[in-house]
Amino acid sequence: MTLLDKFAPLAELRGALAASGKVPSVATPMDAIHSATEGVIDGRTVLLAGTNNYLGLTFDPECRAAAIKAVDELGTGTTGSRMASGNYAGHRALEREFAEAFGWPAAIVFSTGYQANLGAISALAGQGEFLMVDADSHASIHDACRLSMATTIRFRHNDPENLARRLERLGEEAKKTLVVVESLYSVLGDRAPLTELVEVTRQHGAMIIVDEAHSFGMYGPKGVGICAELGLLDRVDFVVGTFSKSLGGVGGFCVSRHPDFELLRLGSRPYIFTASPPPPVIAAARAALSRLLRGDDLRAQLWKNIGRFNAAVTRLGYRTGSKDPGPVTALVFGERQDAIAHWQGLLDAGIYTNLMVPPATPAGLNIVRISLSAAHTDAQISRMIEAFEQLAARLRPAA
Amino acid sequence: MVESTDKVERVVREALKIACPDIGAVDGSTHLASELGLDSAQVMDMIMEIEDRLDISIPVATIAEARTLDDLCQSVRRVAGEA
Repeated sequence: MTLLDKFAPLAELRGALAASGKVPSVATPMDAIHSATEGVIDGRTVLLAGTNNYLGLTFDPECRAAAIKAVDELGTGTTGSRMASGNYAGHRALEREFAEAFGWPAAIVFSTGYQANLGAISALAGQGEFLMVDADSHASIHDACRLSMATTIRFRHNDPENLARRLERLGEEAKKTLVVVESLYSVLGDRAPLTELVEVTRQHGAMIIVDEAHSFGMYGPKGVGICAELGLLDRVDFVVGTFSKSLGGVGGFCVSRHPDFELLRLGSRPYIFTASPPPPVIAAARAALSRLLRGDDLRAQLWKNIGRFNAAVTRLGYRTGSKDPGPVTALVFGERQDAIAHWQGLLDAGIYTNLMVPPATPAGLNIVRISLSAAHTDAQISRMIEAFEQLAARLRPAA
Repeated sequence: MVESTDKVERVVREALKIACPDIGAVDGSTHLASELGLDSAQVMDMIMEIEDRLDISIPVATIAEARTLDDLCQSVRRVAGEA
């Protein structure tokens, strides 16, 4: 028995997720990327429909030019933490720009979206305090809870009443609780009942942090997210997000309506003990945030794509993970083999999507996940729909 | 809150049955992950069922230490204020 033996079941799962001799669905090798919507897999140009590139900004001319200019002027990396030599003017400016976008006083930029959750949540709730976390939260949230010294309690997914019961049990201690939810869950694409969750949180004197990783850029005025869309920015305490979806880069942020949130950078280990994002990453993020905030044209195209695609898969009899169409469409299958057959069938038709199976999915569901982009043209959406029409004719669409 | 030992074990077994309907006979020393093959999502479902039935909140760290059914019952009793 060695330290590596425990990985054997994962190797078996990886083997089961790829048809023999075919391209693997886990860590699919991307040989080249031509644009926000096209890449090369196994020697063939494919349409990318599983990259979370919701606004298609990875190839935006302004973002690319900003990144190149920053490399030329400031170099490839900061080689230091924000608490040491990595606190450049661009990092500070990006934080001001995030705060302004929300109309809030405080923002902190982290090196990745994963670290944004780790850094914010683990620092906000400490020893003797509580984290109340939606059971279907992203791994970064669960890992943040493990890093925190707070007591973590899970509540049933998207269930405000279940949250209320757990907060009630805490009594006065509820005031020392941070409630953690996502606005749009990434696996099934389902939305949280945010208004009700925020109301329950406030009734018990707790605070709430909302992860808008998959909604920032697509919802609300100027694309700021679902909290803004629902008019909750005067009641939500913190919003966390990522650069690696709609902003087309890598990094993370947390903003707050509490001015003292800024002090968190003095006590957040994932913020302190890592290098700050490289200058081109920050410069591209600033250009992308600017584009996102004036991106009603991008959002119009994205929502048009979402409407067409969801209408088609629903017509074909596919079961989706959410009743509200959004940038993530999860096609749910009862059997793993049906999901694998669809994923492979789509790739054979030149369309890359994501295959997700238990234990990485809630409720043991087998999922083919499609993420749409503003960069998908009408013709590309038509191609996706045609591929599904052909697949539905020979495979079972319904779960 | 005080729950009787029998009630805690009964609720834990009922929750296990809900999380894993095809399960056969299980004794207290049965290892939940390696012997029953429960994955983390099934364990989480089971814990939530126990919480709802006993009207308690079980911290995640408490569950992480429970390897067997007996361990889990002991942890639940501790949270329920009995052990």
